[in-house]
Amino acid sequence: MIPAWLAPTILLAPLGFAVLALLAPRSRPGLAHAAGAAVMAACTALAVWLAVAVVPHGAAVQGAHVPWLDLGGFVLGLGTYVDPMGAIMTVIVCLLATFVLVYNAWYMHDDEQAARFPWQFCLFVFAMLTVVLADNLFMSFVGWELVGLGSYLLIGFWSHKPAVADDADYQRLKGAGARGILEDRLSPAHAQLKAFVMNRIGDAGFLVGIGALIAAGTLAGGVREPLTWGNIALIAQGGGLPGTFLGLTGADLLTLAALGIFCGAVGKSAQFPLHTWLPDAMQGPTTASSIIHAATMVAAGVFLVARCYPFFTPDALAVVGWIGGITCLLAASIACVQWDLKAVLAYSTVSQLGLMFTALGAGAAAGGQAAGISHLFTHALFKNLLFLCAGAVIHACAGSQDLHRMGGLARRMPITAIASGLAVLAIIGAPFFSGFFSKDAVLAAALMHAEEAGGAAWGPFLLACAGSLLTAAYMVRWWIRIFAGHERDHGICHHAHDPSWYASAVLIALMPFTIMFVWSGWLGHALGAPHGEAHAHAHHSAMMVASTLLLGGAGFAIVAFLLKPGLSEVLARTLRPLHVACAELWGIDRLWDLLFVRGVGAGLGRLAALLDLGSRDRLASLEGAAPFRLRDVLSLDGVIDGIGRACGGIGRAGALLHDGRIGLYLGVAAIVGAAVLLLGVLW
Amino acid sequence: MVIGALTWSVVAPLLAGVLCLLPGRGARWFALLGALVPLAVGLAALGDFARNPGADFRMLESVPWSTALGANWTVGVDGIGAAMLALSGLVTAIATISAWKEARHPRAYHALVMLLLAAMNGVFVTLDLLVFYICWEVMLVPMLALIGVWGGEQRRYAALKFFVYTLAGSVLMLAMLIALWNRTPAGGRVVAVQQVEVVAHSHDSGATLHGLKVEARADGTRTVTVPRGFDIRHLQLQWRWWQSEHILGVSLAAFGFVAVLLACLVKVPAVPLHTWLPHAHVQAPTAISVLLAGILLKLGVYGLYRVGWPLFPVQAQQWGLAIGVIGLIGILWAAWVALGQRDLKRLVAYSSVSHMGWCLLGLAGLTAAGATGGMVQAVTHGLGSSLLFLLVGVVYDRAHHRDVDGFGGLAKPMPRYGWILLIACLAGAGLPGLAGFVGEAMALFGTFSAGGPFPWLGALAALSVVLSAAYMLWMLKRVAYGPLRHPEHAAYPDLDARELAATVPLVALILLVGIWPSPLADALRPSCEALVTHVRSALP
Repeated sequence: MIPAWLAPTILLAPLGFAVLALLAPRSRPGLAHAAGAAVMAACTALAVWLAVAVVPHGAAVQGAHVPWLDLGGFVLGLGTYVDPMGAIMTVIVCLLATFVLVYNAWYMHDDEQAARFPWQFCLFVFAMLTVVLADNLFMSFVGWELVGLGSYLLIGFWSHKPAVADDADYQRLKGAGARGILEDRLSPAHAQLKAFVMNRIGDAGFLVGIGALIAAGTLAGGVREPLTWGNIALIAQGGGLPGTFLGLTGADLLTLAALGIFCGAVGKSAQFPLHTWLPDAMQGPTTASSIIHAATMVAAGVFLVARCYPFFTPDALAVVGWIGGITCLLAASIACVQWDLKAVLAYSTVSQLGLMFTALGAGAAAGGQAAGISHLFTHALFKNLLFLCAGAVIHACAGSQDLHRMGGLARRMPITAIASGLAVLAIIGAPFFSGFFSKDAVLAAALMHAEEAGGAAWGPFLLACAGSLLTAAYMVRWWIRIFAGHERDHGICHHAHDPSWYASAVLIALMPFTIMFVWSGWLGHALGAPHGEAHAHAHHSAMMVASTLLLGGAGFAIVAFLLKPGLSEVLARTLRPLHVACAELWGIDRLWDLLFVRGVGAGLGRLAALLDLGSRDRLASLEGAAPFRLRDVLSLDGVIDGIGRACGGIGRAGALLHDGRIGLYLGVAAIVGAAVLLLGVLW
Repeated sequence: MVIGALTWSVVAPLLAGVLCLLPGRGARWFALLGALVPLAVGLAALGDFARNPGADFRMLESVPWSTALGANWTVGVDGIGAAMLALSGLVTAIATISAWKEARHPRAYHALVMLLLAAMNGVFVTLDLLVFYICWEVMLVPMLALIGVWGGEQRRYAALKFFVYTLAGSVLMLAMLIALWNRTPAGGRVVAVQQVEVVAHSHDSGATLHGLKVEARADGTRTVTVPRGFDIRHLQLQWRWWQSEHILGVSLAAFGFVAVLLACLVKVPAVPLHTWLPHAHVQAPTAISVLLAGILLKLGVYGLYRVGWPLFPVQAQQWGLAIGVIGLIGILWAAWVALGQRDLKRLVAYSSVSHMGWCLLGLAGLTAAGATGGMVQAVTHGLGSSLLFLLVGVVYDRAHHRDVDGFGGLAKPMPRYGWILLIACLAGAGLPGLAGFVGEAMALFGTFSAGGPFPWLGALAALSVVLSAAYMLWMLKRVAYGPLRHPEHAAYPDLDARELAATVPLVALILLVGIWPSPLADALRPSCEALVTHVRSALP
């Protein structure tokens, strides 16, 4: 029996802490971190209790539910809903939050803003748990927007920094030969804005998706709360929905709702074409990135799609699979040629999220849902570990993030090297590591779906395979460049050391989760992964494919970056166009900047402003009796002024008045006169 | 005779205005008191409606004024009126605090603000269309003076423009008023009434309706005899007659609807009738901008809810789509224009136009959710845009310019300012948990469930979540974040006690309404629901 207060307590404790920490004096950042970690540790314990109670039974538990807003006809409510997927996610979020707070106490020990971190971070955790524990789609949306706020605040943690083009430290320490980054724009303040606005593009679709479900629910005949998971499932089961929304009915309407939700997921989970905000988000503290932009928030899109699976029609799933596959390969190709160690991890996150969507696109029957969520969970742990290790390396190298200058750090920071080595083995899917287990499930699901559906369904599978091959290559390269070989730049590396004992303890504590057996025994069962002969066969084939890809990718990286260091340069020269395209991020960042920031945003905005009020010249000369110019008629305000002046002109001609400014008054007179005339008619 | 609370909400500002003119330095204190009275009355009424939701008018008072005309000093509020009254008291109190140090003719200034407040409150509490119209026009005079005397460099142009636009918009309303009166027989008119109406609006188990005796006919129907006059509730009962009477070849209802619509759309303001607003805002002093955005614009929405839709339901339904489209165009166009602004105040002014578009869109769809959302949006926008204008005023006081690109990094020397500006911008961008989200979400969900072509309008309006985030947060970035652009800004003092006193209450209310909106929505919903039912039943 689960107490009713359990899930709400886990949800609200971080919020309560955030409010207290916000109001408390900021003189003791260490204490604030410790208190925050204690709160999150307690939440973790409660979450484990919750998970132990929920997961074995496999049934969802609906907690307390309160109406939030009555819209007359239907109600939006708030409440908690815990199923195995949500329970495990809750444990992971709370656990990682505890670790990150402990780690951050070391990471920011000499940052004067450190006291700001715990409350902003716990506010984010609250928002994330809202997404996970929500019992209806509306509450998910609220959490969804609030994680956006958390992300916004933490990316902009150092929002006073200038653009990197003007940042001497950045210029000194950046990766040589790094290209494709718009240096005159990139700054924490810009990155937080970009992240929020690009997320909002997806959210516009999310809102339309919600609208489709509300319309379906209200048209279906007075469903009191059309957005609870239960009612959504009922609406979806109905299949043929009554009424129309945006001209669509029945299954098409469901597809629209699904694609709307997926639109939001594309924004939040940084999928092509909205992926460009995530690499920029690395402007925030690495510790914040480790959980927000790697482990949990960006995976919220995957989580939500899995949550909304009942109304994802085959058409919608095909889109999900393709977008996932394309993103997986695209981001992996970019990660291969990055020199910034965080940029590699950022693009690898984008790529791995694409892999999760590829799995989800395979459909529940092929095991796609369970596979996608399994990979979400294992990825959350090992990617968090990778980011914390990256933070330790950056800290050790005096702020440098350049893979050119590192190397041989394994001797100076063994714990970090081992931890990140395990995490790399996990992400590339080496046997007996967690990634092996979940990536095999992903590929098996995609393969099985491709075999069943045939034709275009092979696309996502092949893209995911290519992405996995590259993942093995660039992650091994990453580790080799940092930890293996000789010291390339003694000036940067000579002070390097492992983080303090408690931060190292966090790294050690995260290590076991990279091992396969922590997960493999129970996770598939908990998530209800289907099994049977066909599935076993798919798993077998996928394992062969994955092992081949792993050997190919990792082997190449070992040869090219460790054994024959010249080889990579030769390859880069031979495949120059491809290399440049990847290094330039396939031009997507630049194109979006041109099209949307300069074009649709600033450009159209300026044009609209011009059409609305006219030029600055016109605005500056409004008060005086400046003669009316024809070009003023090009603006709306100018047209209306022109009408006023015309009325004035008529009046002036009649009354032989002289003062030009009286024109407007005469306009009034004309209108009043017309009204009087009208009254005369009426009387 | 005892003067009731609602009458006091008009009389108190008038008295305060007279006291403001006394020599000495007490003017601002009188003004603050004059604003607190309607705030208290409005909050009390709003609390009553939140606890006991209902679509009826409460706190009714009626004093005969002109028996020949049938005009009375009839006041009463439903949830909508109560919310508006509370908002006008609150915003005026805050504007008074922000103009605490007004140096130019402070006594005249505060007296005019009080006259403005009295006129606005008159509109919100009266149930008599003649008084409504008089107050509607009277408020132009103090506003004209406040912009024209206390404004910036181009104040005369802006003030005149404001005056001409709003006057031109409302002149037809006078014609409508006279026509309605003219077409009512001197002895009154017998109108059949529905049982539902009687139940909803009678406090005496159906003996009277809106103060009129209900007569049961032999055939089971009920009638009332409506006298010739201006009571809005009585005029509403006769909506079928306005439909069948004709003037100049169009039905009186169509004429009246256009008249009210025009008067209100200028005030809202709706694109393309909005260009007086940026001029007025840019030239007006901060506190007057706050009044303009915080209350004056809401009068347009209020007029539609109180007069246009109840009196002319058939037209409201027939024109619904067109008005929805006007709202949608306003939302998107003004958002784009806001993106292109360099003047901070003009940017905020256009964000107002964009946000007010939601009120029109919500109302046009004729759903309970949408109509309530439109009204909630009017209230929350009053809080949010007031805060934004105050914050623009704060930097203007220090820098004496409003060029967005002339700032940068202000969050460092002025951290409290940075945080409050962040909350204001996020509220403007419609973040859940802040007030700005509630109205927009309700209006949007209402539009989605309105059926017909309305979901298309909603889907397009959803794009505004991108645009509003873009113009709000881009402004925030350029003003508050990044490195300090001008070294002299490092010496800027953070918000002082007076500035905090003006902004913190708004921040608190934005959070309160954002987190716990149901009292406000519950108070507003019954009236909006009744309005929607009334309009929808007019043309089945």
